[in-house]
Amino acid sequence: MTKSDKDHYCLDKLICFVGDDPEAIKNMVNLFLSTTPDLLQAINASLRDNIAEDLAKAAHTLKPTLDIFGVENTYELIRNIEQKAKKAELDDAMSEQIKQLNTLMELVFQELKSAYQAV
Amino acid sequence: MDAFRIFIVEDDVFYGEMLRHHLALNPDNEVHLYKTGEECLKNLYRSPAMVSLDYSLPDMSGLDVMRQIKKEHPEIPVIIVSGQEDISTAVTLLREGAYDYFVKDDDVKDRLWNVLKKIRENVQLRSEISYLKEEIGRKYEFRNVIKGNSPSIKQIFGLIEKSIKTNISVSITGETGTGKELVAKAIHYNSKRAKKPFVAINVSAVPRDLIESEMFGHEKGAFTGAVTRKIGKFEQANGGTIFLDEIAEMDLNMQAKLLRVIQERELTRVGGNDLINIDARLIVATNRNLADEVQKGNFREDLYYRLLGLPIELPPLRYRGNDIILLAKYFVDEFCKENKMKKLSITESAQQKLMGYHFPGNVRELRAIIELAAVLTDLDHIDESHISFNSADAAGNLLMEESSLAEYTQKIIRYYLQKYNNNVLLVAKKLEIGKSTIYRMIKENQI
Repeated sequence: MTKSDKDHYCLDKLICFVGDDPEAIKNMVNLFLSTTPDLLQAINASLRDNIAEDLAKAAHTLKPTLDIFGVENTYELIRNIEQKAKKAELDDAMSEQIKQLNTLMELVFQELKSAYQAV
Repeated sequence: MDAFRIFIVEDDVFYGEMLRHHLALNPDNEVHLYKTGEECLKNLYRSPAMVSLDYSLPDMSGLDVMRQIKKEHPEIPVIIVSGQEDISTAVTLLREGAYDYFVKDDDVKDRLWNVLKKIRENVQLRSEISYLKEEIGRKYEFRNVIKGNSPSIKQIFGLIEKSIKTNISVSITGETGTGKELVAKAIHYNSKRAKKPFVAINVSAVPRDLIESEMFGHEKGAFTGAVTRKIGKFEQANGGTIFLDEIAEMDLNMQAKLLRVIQERELTRVGGNDLINIDARLIVATNRNLADEVQKGNFREDLYYRLLGLPIELPPLRYRGNDIILLAKYFVDEFCKENKMKKLSITESAQQKLMGYHFPGNVRELRAIIELAAVLTDLDHIDESHISFNSADAAGNLLMEESSLAEYTQKIIRYYLQKYNNNVLLVAKKLEIGKSTIYRMIKENQI
């Protein structure tokens, strides 16, 4: 369970919440890995189907989780996605931001799986 | 202490689980996680001590869930933990009764613990208050308060029993020291109003200019010195009982105002315009004969009949025969218990001495005599040498001190005020001096 300096996440906030208990951290990481892809999936599907309301909702739910996992560069990104979705601005810029989010999250999933052998 | 039950209502599985894990770090917490508002509402019968509610739930809004919780269980504190950073949402929720509102950010953890700490303290205080209320109720169980087997006191028990079944006004008369306030408390704490406040006001102890504001309250700026709004005794007693002691000392102008409040069951604070509904049971007491005061024109007849309700006349101790000994034994036992002393008996000669005294200060005086005797004795009993009715001795001692006339005056007035329960008007009458003289001396801290 080691974190490399190059990783795109930071578990400080999570540890702050669940305590410095490796088993608890591992469980929370596994929960993150099992629930977050569905939320990303919901964001992608809403964009594809042009349903702004659903997109805003999924982004809203994902926001605090990304915060807890300290996923870098996502603080503004996920807020922008939520705000634009609330205004139904599902434009090219939005597609670009969601693409950026997917890429980043894919990296984080891989890094976490590798660190916590959760596969 | 029982487990502190917390409901977390959160549809974000990860965030909800994280909160659950975090709060469960304290083993005193019993944390339940629900994903929908409906699930939470269905489980309210478990009586959570606190609900942490996400604002955006899949089946209903956090506001609707909170409204439902508040409707069924207004005492449960609801904390909204939300990703919504919109201030107007937070304001709406707080206005609707949310205990607090947190945005899901870095501070959630600390704020949650702080709020939990406050709620725990509140829960503990509420349970302590409830326990103390029960204790007071037990303390004022009327057979614990009024001791005696004499026919005159048994008649009083019968009247108290009648008075606690209804809301009828009660007027208690009796000499000083006969226990008028104790009877008033016994009625209140044994009635259906027991869990609401018992508020007492000694009419004679409040300067005439302040009595209206003391009883009915005042608005900010109503008069010089009214820097804030004050809630009066009648409002404080809402739902409970108000006890007006020394009612005969109330001036005629104030009597008219009191009559209006009793008739209309509403009042206006001094300097205010709003009518405030009042639901307070009225118990009054005096050591004067109110009917005589009506005859003399000192007391309004209409108010007299309004207040009379159920009259309870407490007998002077000298007419209560063997109750004197029964009470003396009770007081000595209580005193020994409170002061962790060995139990003391009262000899036959001491009992005879007590029975021969006229007790102008009634039960209050008997208690003081017995407590002094318990302190004076070095034996396992109190005999007649320990019993002193020292009014004559006190006068002698007073003159031995060789004080100035002004100092003697202060001592005499202080003595009378103590004797007559701070009844300024009565003391002024007894000493044949103006009441303003006494008020002036009180104001100038001479007394």
